[in-house]
Amino acid sequence: MEVNWTRKDLLSLYDLTPEEIVLILDTAEEFKKVSERNLKKVPALRGKTVVNFFVEPSTRTRVSFELAEQRLSADIINMTASSSSLQKGETLLDTVRNIEALQADLIVMRHSCAGAQNFIAKNISSGVINAGDGAHGHPTQALLDLFTIRQKKGRIAGLNVSIVGDILHSRVARSDIWGLIKLGANVTLAGPSTLVPRDFEQIGARVCHNLKDAMVGADVINLLRIQHERQRAGFFPSTSEYARFFGLNKENAKYLKPDAMIMHPGPINRDVELDSELADGPQSVILEQVTNGLAVRMAVLFLVAGCLKK
Amino acid sequence: MPAKRRLCNSRKMDEAIKGVADAIIAEFSRKSEMDFAFIGIQQRGVPFALRLIEKITRKTGFKPQFAMLDTSMYRDDIGMRATLPVIRETDIPFDMNDQAVILTDDVLSSGRTIRAALDAITCYGRPSLIRLAVVVDRGSREFPIRADYAGMNIIPEDGKKILVEFKETDGSDGIYEIDWSNPTKGE
Repeated sequence: MEVNWTRKDLLSLYDLTPEEIVLILDTAEEFKKVSERNLKKVPALRGKTVVNFFVEPSTRTRVSFELAEQRLSADIINMTASSSSLQKGETLLDTVRNIEALQADLIVMRHSCAGAQNFIAKNISSGVINAGDGAHGHPTQALLDLFTIRQKKGRIAGLNVSIVGDILHSRVARSDIWGLIKLGANVTLAGPSTLVPRDFEQIGARVCHNLKDAMVGADVINLLRIQHERQRAGFFPSTSEYARFFGLNKENAKYLKPDAMIMHPGPINRDVELDSELADGPQSVILEQVTNGLAVRMAVLFLVAGCLKK
Repeated sequence: MPAKRRLCNSRKMDEAIKGVADAIIAEFSRKSEMDFAFIGIQQRGVPFALRLIEKITRKTGFKPQFAMLDTSMYRDDIGMRATLPVIRETDIPFDMNDQAVILTDDVLSSGRTIRAALDAITCYGRPSLIRLAVVVDRGSREFPIRADYAGMNIIPEDGKKILVEFKETDGSDGIYEIDWSNPTKGE
């Protein structure tokens, strides 16, 4: 059965059917080839204007989106909170309506409040792509993780995927969990009990508080960046203690299967959640995730742009 | 489902494809060397190209190279169509530079798909020449594009569309006229 893409927005993987997720991954396969050619550009979004509106700072996601837009021949405007009138007290909706009044076709948006993009998408006719909203979701990061897993392992269904770290505050983890479960993977979450609450069992993930349990039998281990401000807030006693109990290193890596993939959404705290040598080793696919992110974002932009009513 | 009327059975369709293969052989055998490659436009230009390769190889011993191309990223109507086309595989395993290529598609109508395909091809290289072969030329051109080889010319009734089916993509061979209820133009 062939599925058609009918959404003008990409807000959350929670909203998508497994077939829609697979359609994005399949579309991304073809866009990946574009970046491997001498001429790395296609005219698919020629004449379309995309606004990258990053109310919360971002480097890698913004650069990846911007390059994806350039490769699709879109016209691009970059806005940050500090360069917008939000500073002058304008409401978010007013700012976005002004962007829309300039005939922007698509808004790629990051915001520190969960649900901000859903609110905007309901109120404007331009397409909205969520580039991260609070601790809620980061759908294109999860899609690039799914794409990388499928590319390396040939499938997602039936794989054992462990996500380790600060699940509680992680939008990447939430999007990954929804995407992986929808595509049939077995998801294990591991980390200190303050950062990995049992609540996640309700959405079908296994929760453990011991790194070894998450490593044994895993086909994929995805390590999340541990943010130092969480330590200051008392979620764990010290970074070095976190590294000792939940950091993947050469000693405990023996519990991993020889063909287990090591993933990380970046930026890495080397030798905290992940040993430097392993991050650069043969099991690591971290830089491939970055490359694949470009293809996945091109696919999402293409699909969403194709559903705008003009 | 739209009403579907058969215009050609599989035997007649095969004869039309054979006619295209013979015309290609006739043109290229006049050149100093028989060297050309096929680029099948997704989706039904692909089985058409493979049929031509099979017939040409059997008759001349020369086996043309084969590529497939999806034109979705090069279309000029993204966002104007009722449904977005699914992007299918592009695979060009040879160097396009200085290569004579024959582009194949099932039906030539507005010419917009071919315009997109020509745009796509130039992103991969600079072929020495490009020819166009189609199973059916149905007229209604919107671009100054013509087929170099057409298996047959069929002008459908107003509002109707020509559909060429292949065993590989549709289960059986045949050419049909169907009522086209989709409001967008082009195919």
